[in-house]
Amino acid sequence: MGLLTDPSTGQGKFVKILLKYYVHACILLYVSGVLWFLAIAYPNMNANTYFSENALLPGLVKSQFREDREASRYHEEFLDEMKKYPDSIPYPWLLAKFKQIGLDAYMHNFTLASPFNRKDKFSGKNVYGILRAPRGSSAEALVLSTPFRPSSSPHPPTEPSIAIMLAFAKYANKEKYWAKDIIFLITEHEQVGVQAWLEAYYGVTCGSENILDHGDLKGRGGAIQAAINLELHSERIGQMDIKIEGLNGQLPNLDLFNLASKMCSKEGVYQTFKNRGHFYTRKPLLEWWNYFKNMLTMMATQATGIPNGNHGLFHRFGIQALTLEGFEQSKATGSSRIWFVGIGRIIEGVFRSLNNLLERFHQSFFFYLLPSSDRYISISIYIPSVCLMVGTMFIKACARWFKMIETNSEGKNLETSAIRVDKIIITFLTTHFFGVLISNVPQFVAQYPTLSQYETNIKVFYPLLASVVLLTVLPLFVSIRHCKKSMELLNILAMLELGTTLICISMNNFSLGLFCGIISVPAALVINPSNCRVCSYFQRFLWFLIHPLNILVCIVMINTYYLFPEENLDVILFRGWDATMQSIIFSIVDSMIYGNWLYGVITNIFIPNWLCFWIVSFSVFKEGETIKDSDKEKKE
Amino acid sequence: MIYSLTFLIILANYGSVFCYEGSIDEELLIKPLQSNQVYAHFQFSTKWDIDPEKETFRHSSLFPRPIGELIQRFDIQELHVTLTGGLWRYEKWGYPVVDAATGAEVLAWFKPGSDVDTNWKLLANSLSGLFCASLNFIDDLNTIKPEFSFRPRGVVDSKFINSSHVRYANLPHEIVCTENLTPWKKLLPCDSKTGLASLLNSGHIHNTRYHSVGLHLRPVCRDKSCESLSLELQQTVSLVYDYLILGTKNWSLRKLFGQGVNRKCVLVNKSDIYVDTTLTDVELEPAPDKTVTSIRGGQTTVLQKYEVTNTFLNIYAKYQNADVVPLNLPPPLHANQYLSGYGQERGGIVTKIYNNHWKELDVVLLQNIPWFIPIYLHTLKVVSNGKELKPLQLRYIPARQRIRPNYLEVLLRLPARTSTSVVIDFDYVFLKWQEYPPDANFGFHIGSAVISCYLPVAKNYTAVPWDMTLISDSFNASRNGYLVEIRTENLIITLPTPDFSMPYNVICLACTVVALAFGPLHNITTRKLILKSNKKVQLVEKIKKLLNSLSKTKEE
Repeated sequence: MGLLTDPSTGQGKFVKILLKYYVHACILLYVSGVLWFLAIAYPNMNANTYFSENALLPGLVKSQFREDREASRYHEEFLDEMKKYPDSIPYPWLLAKFKQIGLDAYMHNFTLASPFNRKDKFSGKNVYGILRAPRGSSAEALVLSTPFRPSSSPHPPTEPSIAIMLAFAKYANKEKYWAKDIIFLITEHEQVGVQAWLEAYYGVTCGSENILDHGDLKGRGGAIQAAINLELHSERIGQMDIKIEGLNGQLPNLDLFNLASKMCSKEGVYQTFKNRGHFYTRKPLLEWWNYFKNMLTMMATQATGIPNGNHGLFHRFGIQALTLEGFEQSKATGSSRIWFVGIGRIIEGVFRSLNNLLERFHQSFFFYLLPSSDRYISISIYIPSVCLMVGTMFIKACARWFKMIETNSEGKNLETSAIRVDKIIITFLTTHFFGVLISNVPQFVAQYPTLSQYETNIKVFYPLLASVVLLTVLPLFVSIRHCKKSMELLNILAMLELGTTLICISMNNFSLGLFCGIISVPAALVINPSNCRVCSYFQRFLWFLIHPLNILVCIVMINTYYLFPEENLDVILFRGWDATMQSIIFSIVDSMIYGNWLYGVITNIFIPNWLCFWIVSFSVFKEGETIKDSDKEKKE
Repeated sequence: MIYSLTFLIILANYGSVFCYEGSIDEELLIKPLQSNQVYAHFQFSTKWDIDPEKETFRHSSLFPRPIGELIQRFDIQELHVTLTGGLWRYEKWGYPVVDAATGAEVLAWFKPGSDVDTNWKLLANSLSGLFCASLNFIDDLNTIKPEFSFRPRGVVDSKFINSSHVRYANLPHEIVCTENLTPWKKLLPCDSKTGLASLLNSGHIHNTRYHSVGLHLRPVCRDKSCESLSLELQQTVSLVYDYLILGTKNWSLRKLFGQGVNRKCVLVNKSDIYVDTTLTDVELEPAPDKTVTSIRGGQTTVLQKYEVTNTFLNIYAKYQNADVVPLNLPPPLHANQYLSGYGQERGGIVTKIYNNHWKELDVVLLQNIPWFIPIYLHTLKVVSNGKELKPLQLRYIPARQRIRPNYLEVLLRLPARTSTSVVIDFDYVFLKWQEYPPDANFGFHIGSAVISCYLPVAKNYTAVPWDMTLISDSFNASRNGYLVEIRTENLIITLPTPDFSMPYNVICLACTVVALAFGPLHNITTRKLILKSNKKVQLVEKIKKLLNSLSKTKEE
């Protein structure tokens, strides 16, 4: 810091170069960051996947699963049973089956209070059976889970996965080689059920208090090491898709993905990632484009931070998990379908490999991108792209700081250089205070039962929207916008904050960090306190466009357009607006139930940061100083 | 003829030499459990009519001499060692004859006036050699002196009952296998050639859901007047077979153990097999010698008795209705242990104790928690069905890093028909890098908790009363209370583990740097360096040179 605060050292060679070329450097770095990102999908930049953990020994044993008839019978029986329970889980049947197979069968009750109206309660039941390992002492466990979907559910059915799960349990319970307990878990209400079960297993609450009452479990199986979630939509599987993206963009260990992928290909099922299988082409550009497209799809899912299957909720607890989703229809031409035997053998292979595992997953990668199911991009390859991009923020902040010191040291304008640091800090903190307020609006609303008569949209979304809109007039109340130096300092602070935030986010959720960086960095580079009216209006317009809300509206609108291309524009606009409202409500609900931090990050950091830049773009100062300033720039 | 005569004489002499010393009784209890399992418990009881105080253990016949030496050298009053694989599921299986925690467990009482701490360590090392087990890992870091949980089982002067004479340690990570069984079998007088021990074939024993070998040594009264003492050694094997793994519910001795009983061991006094037929309708073949009905603490048990004779014996059980699964009624008291919380910052150890009895029960909970798990006593919370419970008594000695473990003993009065959870929070800590085991990412074990209780009813209870020795003594033996010492699951805890591949990376990097540095250094030190003229070559000259060289190559 001595280097930065001592004005006499500001005239070094490095500083001069920096001051002279920082604009070029910023542009160059940003462009190279984007290019780097485009390039990582190119096969020469990434590598083939491989097994890092030797103990897995994938596919080494001969599959012995032969209970396919049993599975078909379970399937028929279960379909019959489901008719008696039109919209709830047929738990007596499942419990009876688990007991018949010889597992310890338990039921788990949970209650969910509506996040915005605590009086509205929904209850659900999970059913689980524990296979006690003959060679273990219930110190470690594996999970095979499947969501139960009643016939009224909008999602595709998953009964075949319950049938195969029971058949596999029956097969596995006879074997004596298991060293880890296997927990067979059937959950209700999609992700809420899994979340409640996991919270009960670990005796913790992840979201807000008093929303999800996770209840208690009667049986446990020790430390869970891995989980496989099954979503089979048919008895015959033509295509097996592996889903990995979890809550807050967390991913399972790459070895687990490789294991599942290897087992699928061993059984000869057409195996895909993001609904795309292998493709072979000799055209390098086409090859790159295919990989890039696939990688973008993965990144889009990851960036939302919403798990795309029940596996996503396991990751937080240090459990490596993925979903195997089976479709009857296959995109591959001429590929065969596998039946219950094949599916059972995939499960058997995966679980026997996991059973071999001595240490928990710690090798291989936890941070990676997948352009296809057999290639990966490790963190060391992809992180430079975002670092290059975000580095511009720090370089510009640094340059601006030196420039300020330089003008200060010349000491010509003592009255203008009197920076009101306290006021800057107050402004900076005020914006963040407003951010915290916004993020707490939903909690606040939920506390007042008198508001319960109103619709959720009215009581949550409109107050939020109103507060965000009101905040845009904040710059008018900032007195320091008349002082160029103060504005400059605020700009530097905001740039540093944006840079740090982006780096931190991309360490956790690279996709989100990168997308935010690509959008916000160029706009932030443009923003400078200036006196030029046109520039100022341009800056404001540009910066207004990248308000998080505007970006969300844009994304949702585009999405709606692609979903309903045949509709008229006004219908699309209406639907898009509706979807935007829904998406905000959902992200709030996610943060309250699961502890998804997207809403929190946007309201607590991005909106305040946006406001800081917004204030900077509203700077107005005296004519004289600007002229002097521009003179100086000319001299340089 | 002559041979057989001499054999007889030798046998007679043999008998006369050892008759006065004591006796060996072997028993096998086979009990089909409520769930899909069958429980087999072997018990070999050796009684030696000597005064343990005076005997020097130089000469022994039936009694294994290595054990005698241990008693003498380490001033042992009582010794209990168990080596167990798998976990006894109290909820489904009821109570075993001998409770044992997963892994290895050693409990010893020392004679007053001896150097207990030194003897304890020496004893652990001797036992380690005797059983080929890693009992040598027992040291101050995992030894505690429980105050309430354990009482001496044998005859002892009551004024000497003091927790300073007792030592208890468990090694939850110990894996029990054939190598432990073989030395154990060698302590038996007939080895495993004849008698019930011939059933102990390691291949079959380790295919079970639960297997536990044990050795229990104590002084007992020689007769009812109790004027003189005897030494009693009980060697036990508990096995739980699973019908599903066996492939059928109709078991036989051959199916379970690989072969039938190969004659009676000549040195043995009594050699009996009891088959519990209370629960199920079962047809036994050959027909039992005797049917015993035992009424104990309100529980009626029907047992079929077989006496092992000098012929080969294989018992075959055939179930009338093999598909009937009896309703599982959990025993009066059972417990679980698990970790709460996630991440690498804070966590909790939860022990959940279920009291299914209609009356309140007094229990003692004992926990031996390793030093690298710093627990906080102020976070100790006992909650019973939502209500906070106050412990009747509490003993706590906090751990000292690398010196001693946490010792926690809580006396609780559990309300009737409740589940009570005892929660204590801890912090995750870093260890020194050498303190991690080779498989660092496996995690660390926390041993099982011990929950002791005097049950008022003998439901699902099979243990032998303390004042008795044999399984047959436990028939119709009603007492005021029935002691159970429940063991819970072991826990695996993942401490923050450094990336141990890092040293490898560092070595690689360091080697690269050295290699890169070596070249230039070698060049500088071995070659002669001459200054070159500092004349700058003009660009035009450079191009000329290039053209010249090009034209030369063309000409060639």
